[in-house]
Amino acid sequence: MKVQSARRRCLVGVAFLLPNIAGFCAFTLIPLALSFMMAFTDWDFLRRNVFRHDPLQWVGLGNFTRLLVDTQFWRDLGNTCFLMIGLPFAIAGSLGAALLLNRIGGRRCRTGPALAAATLVLAASGLVLLRGGMPETGVWFLFGVLAATVLLAGVLTRGSVYRTLFYLPHFTAGVATYVLWKKLYHPTSGPINLALNPLLDQVSSAVRFMPGLFSIGLPLAGAAGALTLVAWHLLRLRRRWDDSEAGISAIVTGSLGPAIPLGFLLARLGLPGAASAAVALAAAALAAALISRRPRPWGPKCAADAGLGLEVALALALIPLLAILLACVVIGPSLPARAQAGFEAPDWLGDYGSAKPALMIMAMWAAIGSNNMILYLAGLSNIPQELYEAADMDGASPRQRFWNITWPQLAPVTFFIAVMGVIEGLQGGFEMARTMTAGGPAGSTTTLSYFVYTEGFETGRLGYAAAVAWVLFALVFVLSLLNFRYGNRNAND
Amino acid sequence: MGTATPTTEPSAPRSRGLGLHGLITLLSLGMMAPFAWMALASLKSLAEVGDPGWMPAAGFHWGNYAEVFRVIPFLRFVANSLVIAGWVTLLQVFTSALAAFSFARLDWPGRDRVFFLYLGTMMLPGLVMLIANYQIMVRLGLVDTYLGLVLPASFSAFGTFLLRQFMLGIPRALDEAAEIDGASKWRIFWDVILPLSRPGLVTLAIFTFMGNYQSFFWPLVMMKTVDKYTLPVGLLFFDTDHGQATHLLMAAVTMSVAPLIVLFVLLQRQLIRGIQLGAVKG
Repeated sequence: MKVQSARRRCLVGVAFLLPNIAGFCAFTLIPLALSFMMAFTDWDFLRRNVFRHDPLQWVGLGNFTRLLVDTQFWRDLGNTCFLMIGLPFAIAGSLGAALLLNRIGGRRCRTGPALAAATLVLAASGLVLLRGGMPETGVWFLFGVLAATVLLAGVLTRGSVYRTLFYLPHFTAGVATYVLWKKLYHPTSGPINLALNPLLDQVSSAVRFMPGLFSIGLPLAGAAGALTLVAWHLLRLRRRWDDSEAGISAIVTGSLGPAIPLGFLLARLGLPGAASAAVALAAAALAAALISRRPRPWGPKCAADAGLGLEVALALALIPLLAILLACVVIGPSLPARAQAGFEAPDWLGDYGSAKPALMIMAMWAAIGSNNMILYLAGLSNIPQELYEAADMDGASPRQRFWNITWPQLAPVTFFIAVMGVIEGLQGGFEMARTMTAGGPAGSTTTLSYFVYTEGFETGRLGYAAAVAWVLFALVFVLSLLNFRYGNRNAND
Repeated sequence: MGTATPTTEPSAPRSRGLGLHGLITLLSLGMMAPFAWMALASLKSLAEVGDPGWMPAAGFHWGNYAEVFRVIPFLRFVANSLVIAGWVTLLQVFTSALAAFSFARLDWPGRDRVFFLYLGTMMLPGLVMLIANYQIMVRLGLVDTYLGLVLPASFSAFGTFLLRQFMLGIPRALDEAAEIDGASKWRIFWDVILPLSRPGLVTLAIFTFMGNYQSFFWPLVMMKTVDKYTLPVGLLFFDTDHGQATHLLMAAVTMSVAPLIVLFVLLQRQLIRGIQLGAVKG
């Protein structure tokens, strides 16, 4: 064997790298440096283009200080964060789908009963078709045929057909499906509102029929639900503190979770903004103090940031849930008055209030069956079976098995998915905004990436756009550090 | 969701299995409902698109599909997308494989430091580079050219990372044996490592192809002539110009989505493995 000199080894190594690193320098490193430079200049299409070539002015941190006072930037940052409220729900959906698919995969189902069920569905839909005729009931027949086919294929392939169908919305997500959803959301001719309007008519007649149930019952139910949720959450925090599973920063985060919706509720009920924020913070501080002052004589010492990741994830899920329940409390009393005029389906993409939820619903459709579900499926198959066998011997209920085995074992996957989701969410929203809403109505769906696009490519303030992009980078960087710091340790738990 | 039970339950009765299948069938039909509406709406006439019924009442208007080709150069858009995504895939897989081989199998001073630089740039949001990259394209005169779309996308840190991970899993004994037989590094790369990395190459190729076939931001800012639009950009302007023609729009959307569905059904095995490879190791 020929012994190669170090020089030659180096040459060979670099030669293999050369094609890639040349492109890497040209289209990653140089743009990176240029973009960093641009962020400190007042580069503007108006003064520096094919026809004019004014010298660049260095503005130092000018672009960044301008950002701080730019209401549009803060609004768009807010929009970006608001759209991420859908994330916990999407993750929960992915987990639910993965659990269902995993159960299917572990079990054989005889084809006989499945065949019988499929035939039954087919026969029923055929009957419906014969009675109603093609234009009216054809769609039910179609869905019946589809259901029978999917069921049979699912049983025969032991569930992998379902995985394919769940994954398709994510795989095809792009301008084409956004255009499709724009039509689905069309206020008058879209199928969503065409189906919603008759339903809402029935609801409003029900409210008119029994106004008391809705004006009093709904707020009561909402309040009861919210209180139960908060009580469950605080008791859970206390137990985790007692068991030394959560450190002080996790307790503080966990207490802030229910406090934020409380602050918004107070503000909505007429308290001044600063006062409601103060009350909410005081409540959170009180809860955290009460919990953290409890002695832990037996538990082992735990780090201040133990269990922080889980609490952040749970708080993110708790806030929207509480917000929905509290919304019931706030709007309940006014329902009968509104029902007199009849409820109307929202103009999804055209209303300031409903545009963001509309985008969130669509994003969720694509996110439930996405890579997250695949990762959860892989995570589920990696859980050692012995854990479940041991739990069965101790007579654990399905709920206990989930919370004590599955959920902790999946924690690293959940953490990875959540951090990746937030990082993607920070950079996302451009395609939706460009194809569906043009950032509107009134800027309610303009995310940071769309802001960078309009600044950089429409108004031509390149320096400013670059500064926004670097702020975005800073946010992503901080999150990646968190991932690096907590993600790895979580995996060792 | 909290009450859902995980993994196998050997003692469960069989009839519950069927019920579970039924539930999941309903859920997946729900996921497919937008696609069903899309396909049915693409067969309606203009007068019917606002009807509550999903079925085209007056027969299927297959002519909508032919109409799309008359209104926009649909085939041209598809061809542009295919050509651009194809070239990017070819270049990216090849250059990434070369670099991954260098990182995984060759020893040279400073190798790990360069690799960490690569890894570091994977964290960068694409937006940071976009504006500067566009200025570079303007300077190079590549705006509104195919080359301007292909070149910047052809060199990827992610691809290098993915293939390096894959190549590290190939036993070293194989290339040592080849080296004893007197094979050059290039021969080892081409005849030993590359064939063995085929699953990784296929995975990367699918990811790259799909990502570029669907990519939107860069073609949108780069392409100025209609004949050079890629499919997503073409669809966007079709929607802006003919937004009222829901039936034609849905025909075009169906024609864009259907090939993807077929492709996914054919390639899902490789894709799913790739997702797990890319994320678990990352």
